[in-house]
Amino acid sequence: VCTSRFWFNYRHVANTLSVYRSVKRLGIPDSHIVLMLADDMACNPRNPKPATVFSHKNMELNVYGDDVEVDYRSYEVTVENFLRVLTGRIPPSTPRSKRLLSDDRSNILIYMTGHGGNGFLKFQDSEEITNVELADAFEQMWQKRRYNELLFIIDTCQGASMYERFYSPNIMALASSQVGEDSLSHQPDLGIGVHLMDRYTFYVLEFLEEIHPASQTNMNDLFQVCPKSLCVSTPGHRTDLFQRDPQNVLITDFFGSVRKVEITTETISLDRDLPGFERKLPEEELATEPLKYAEQLPVAQIIHQKPKQKDWHPPGGFILGLWALIIMVFFKTYGIKHMKHIF
Amino acid sequence: MAAPLLLVVLVAVTVRAALYRSSLAAFISERVEVASPLNAWKRVVEGLALLDLGVSPYSGAIFHETPLIIYLFHFLIEYAELVFMITDVLTGVALYLAIQDFNKVVFKKQKFLIELDKYAPDVAELIRTPMEMHYIPLKVALFYLLNPYTVMSCVAKSTCAINNTVIAFFILATIKGSAFLSAVFLALATYQSLYPLTLFAPALLYLLQRQFIPIKLKSKSFWLYTMQYAALYLCSLVVIICLSFFLLNSWDFIPSVYGFILSVPDLTPNIGLFWYFFAEMFEHFSLFFVCVFQINVFFYTIPLAIKLKEHPVFFMFVQIAIISIFKSYPTVGDIALYMAFLPVWSHLYRFLRNVFILSCVLIVCSFLFPVLWHLWIYAGSANSNFYYAITLTFNIGQILLISDYFYAFLRREYYLTHGLHLTRQDGTEAMLVLK
Repeated sequence: VCTSRFWFNYRHVANTLSVYRSVKRLGIPDSHIVLMLADDMACNPRNPKPATVFSHKNMELNVYGDDVEVDYRSYEVTVENFLRVLTGRIPPSTPRSKRLLSDDRSNILIYMTGHGGNGFLKFQDSEEITNVELADAFEQMWQKRRYNELLFIIDTCQGASMYERFYSPNIMALASSQVGEDSLSHQPDLGIGVHLMDRYTFYVLEFLEEIHPASQTNMNDLFQVCPKSLCVSTPGHRTDLFQRDPQNVLITDFFGSVRKVEITTETISLDRDLPGFERKLPEEELATEPLKYAEQLPVAQIIHQKPKQKDWHPPGGFILGLWALIIMVFFKTYGIKHMKHIF
Repeated sequence: MAAPLLLVVLVAVTVRAALYRSSLAAFISERVEVASPLNAWKRVVEGLALLDLGVSPYSGAIFHETPLIIYLFHFLIEYAELVFMITDVLTGVALYLAIQDFNKVVFKKQKFLIELDKYAPDVAELIRTPMEMHYIPLKVALFYLLNPYTVMSCVAKSTCAINNTVIAFFILATIKGSAFLSAVFLALATYQSLYPLTLFAPALLYLLQRQFIPIKLKSKSFWLYTMQYAALYLCSLVVIICLSFFLLNSWDFIPSVYGFILSVPDLTPNIGLFWYFFAEMFEHFSLFFVCVFQINVFFYTIPLAIKLKEHPVFFMFVQIAIISIFKSYPTVGDIALYMAFLPVWSHLYRFLRNVFILSCVLIVCSFLFPVLWHLWIYAGSANSNFYYAITLTFNIGQILLISDYFYAFLRREYYLTHGLHLTRQDGTEAMLVLK
């Protein structure tokens, strides 16, 4: 997620697109990526190289290219949409590419960049998301079994404040700077005129360039990326909510889509009468006839539904009082002599 | 005269039944001129549905009917159309009987005054004869039952019909002379919608007249009777309100019904005068103007009582008309009630001055209401000023109608006692002016 717009926030778009590229390179397909960008860099009138977004000076690496699939662009990058994507509370008309279709075996990587402060992250200059909201959204995801493990990376000023409030299990968080520190950008490109990348993401990307789908690098190495000498700010991480030891967590668990595929040349036939495979049918099931489709639907009940019973009835005292009054008025006007005929 | 009345009733019922089954019913029941927030049928259904769900119907700002209506419709909601047709028929029959009795009273009084030589010699053409008065009750029932306003109000199932029935029974009880019944029905009418409170004065005056108690402030019998009647009225009102407390075991209905009538929070356009003013008004003036507008309704009672103390039924007519013009949520059903009385004063026709203008204004405005509503709400090429202009014109027409009848009535009374050909001091023909 890139939460900034405007030309001078070029680096945030470049950050996000670079991470997007690495993740795609390591095997995660577009259908499993939700990319939120204010997509106003490549075609910005101020871009001297239109249709490109560079992540390295001297224009070495164009991260925009042909196959970037942006799911939420421009004004759709709002706090509401972000939280809806996370929690799954999306209107039924949303297309699949805009949904996070994760289940309880999914590992999710969330990378956010932009301008932030102590406890909040600014979305597009008009709204903010707070660390409390984010923590609650993750808790909703946990309760709805939308993730197995979650890695949260944030590259903003005072980024560590955003993961302070997490309380759901299986979350690991990384931030580019501690509370009170600013994250700094890496290098300006004099040809384009803006800073192209942020330091932390730059070094993370350098680190990621060495990862390939089969690499066994673990999270502890990621925590060492960008020491204070290179980054000026102190990166932070949080692993107390995570069940496994970061030593045993592979980078590719989150950044790549790695499956263990074994290719075999022998054929295996699936045979019904394999020994050791007992098919026990409980006797009770065979006794009943299979139901016809129509009988399974309680149509008769639906058609002959009785009208809903009125639950409210006027209190007995009221009815008694009212009719007593009416009878009294009647007898008062027409005389007592009628009483004889009634009683 | 039962047969013609029965015929009229049958025709009225047929017209209503035909309209209920046609597609116009849905269109009419949505018109704001016919259904106001106080008496719309939609709201009755909503209130009863809320009650079935276990929620007090007064908890939202939707339902503004009294608990007795809840009780009535709780059992009769499937027969709602029948109920409204029956109420209209009852109103028509009640008015018929009331006016029949009233004609007898008028005739007796006239005879009495002639024998006492109170009339000037040359007013023979102003004296009313039984011949001309014979068909008046039928005409009254006809005017009420076949009035397009009544028919629309019935087809829309607006509970204004029930209000009209109660007021008609009140008038019947008063004219028959039964103080107890009249007090009971007046209490019921006040309980339903607050404004019939002002009908206390004409009823009292009529009953005093019937008992031959002269209306002098010093007279003890006058005060005694007034106190009796007032006590009857207030006691029955208190009893009815307490009884409605026991329906839902709460006093919620008082702010919902009477608070709503008096404070006019809902500013949906209708044919009255309140909505436009209060839509345009600043908040800190609204209380003041609400008070002014509400006092306007009750204000005319005392001066009219002083002027019309000899003619309480005419006073009642004028009072009902004033209520239906100046009340906070008028509908065409209210107008139909006082229009039903117009045949009673048909002998004033020769003194009415604005018949043509009035009929034109009223008919044209009635047709322009839906036109300008459509232009404002649907076409968007008019705005609320247009609709309010028609409302204003319609109300001005009604006020002109009442003042015309008032003038004509007083003029006839004056002629009766002073002769038809009035001359001034110097012998030229004089003209009566209503100051």
